[in-house]
Amino acid sequence: MNIVARNIFRLIVVVLFQVLVIDNIMINGYMVPYIYLLFLILMPFETPRWLQLLAGFVLGLSIDLFENTPGMHTAATVLVAFLRPYLLNLLAPHDGYEPETFPRIHYYGFNWFLKYTLVVVVIHHFALFYLEVFQLRDFLSTLLRVILSSILSVSIIVLSQYFVFRK
Amino acid sequence: MPFGMWISFRSSCARPGDQSDYMRTLLRFIQKYSNHLLFLFLEAIAILLIVRSSYYQQSRFVNMNRQINGFIYNQVDGAREYLSLKKVNQRLAEENMQLRNRVEQISSQLDTTQVIRRYREPVQFYYVPSRIVHNSVYKQYNYITIDQGKKDGIFRDMGVISDQGLVGIVLESSNHFSTIIPIINRDFRLNVKIKSSNFAGILFWDGASPLFARLAEIPFHADLTEGDTILTSGYSAIFPEGIEVGMIDSFTLKSGNFYDIRVKLFTDFQSLFHVNVIRNYRQQEQINLEENTRQ
Repeated sequence: MNIVARNIFRLIVVVLFQVLVIDNIMINGYMVPYIYLLFLILMPFETPRWLQLLAGFVLGLSIDLFENTPGMHTAATVLVAFLRPYLLNLLAPHDGYEPETFPRIHYYGFNWFLKYTLVVVVIHHFALFYLEVFQLRDFLSTLLRVILSSILSVSIIVLSQYFVFRK
Repeated sequence: MPFGMWISFRSSCARPGDQSDYMRTLLRFIQKYSNHLLFLFLEAIAILLIVRSSYYQQSRFVNMNRQINGFIYNQVDGAREYLSLKKVNQRLAEENMQLRNRVEQISSQLDTTQVIRRYREPVQFYYVPSRIVHNSVYKQYNYITIDQGKKDGIFRDMGVISDQGLVGIVLESSNHFSTIIPIINRDFRLNVKIKSSNFAGILFWDGASPLFARLAEIPFHADLTEGDTILTSGYSAIFPEGIEVGMIDSFTLKSGNFYDIRVKLFTDFQSLFHVNVIRNYRQQEQINLEENTRQ
């Protein structure tokens, strides 16, 4: 399948999986996983930056529309899309990323992928949960929500590498 | 990063030159930082949506989307409902029993008292039963979607209750679906009263647990006991008076003048499947009157 078509298909699947399956997993108020970032995380290395930003915008907005939240997911996701190239530069192996590879466990190993996912997810959850609360009063309890939810989201995303995106 | 951007912009502009020179540096600046500018532009849209969220909720786009979401959720919800049939059944049986008791009480009154018939008019409150197709509990802004909308006579600002107690208020409706803003949403505010003493206060949610809400503005001279029932006050045109909301779980006297009260909610939002929307035939009349008086 064409790489563009594949990514659009992935976007739709990830959004639907988030709102129809993950959102129905209710553990408690401190563990609310958001795995739709998987789409951004798996975008090819050489995607142009403007396209990454727009993709982040579309992804966040579609989640916002399903969750009835105004703009919060959009803001957090666009932020992550903006920071992702810098992060990939920081985490690049010595001889850079090889062509024809994707940011996945299959190509760059468990440790690399865990680091990468962890940073992306923590930035996103941090922005999202504080935007949701929109005040610093509940700083610590929100921080706890960020940490616990991030752990859950990262686990699900990493596991998906073994079950869905194996190749 | 934005700071560095600004410095380089300033320094490139500060060079002496004619107007086209400025234009060129400006263009070069835009070209160089086009991704940053796109980022700022997209974030600005998102922040604007957050700040003007009430407009967002009413926008045509969101309304259209409500229709689509409702349809998708409706398709998937069957599984969820099937898995909890036993619980629902049990609750319906309980409600049935209560209603039967109620009928007994009222019919015995009818036998002994004479009903004076004034003029005929429809009942003020009418209940429309609906099914929940989507529900969230553990977010800060939780919403419920139900499978009835404008075509079924459901419009914004109508009250929503369940057989256990108060649920929330209709936020917006499309033709076949409506979104409800439940007690467990940080934007929710409602005037309620304490059953035993009739003191009125504001019920809101602090985002912590879907089992508890907070009650504010009860003055310090009110006599409180744990377990007191909280009812709707009937001051607004949304709910009739006396719908059960919850009971006092604990309270502290906050900064002298007002109590900070924790309310255990009667409605279990985690296992909610059917709700009743309240149509108040005199809602418009009351709102019009109140607005005229205020002017």
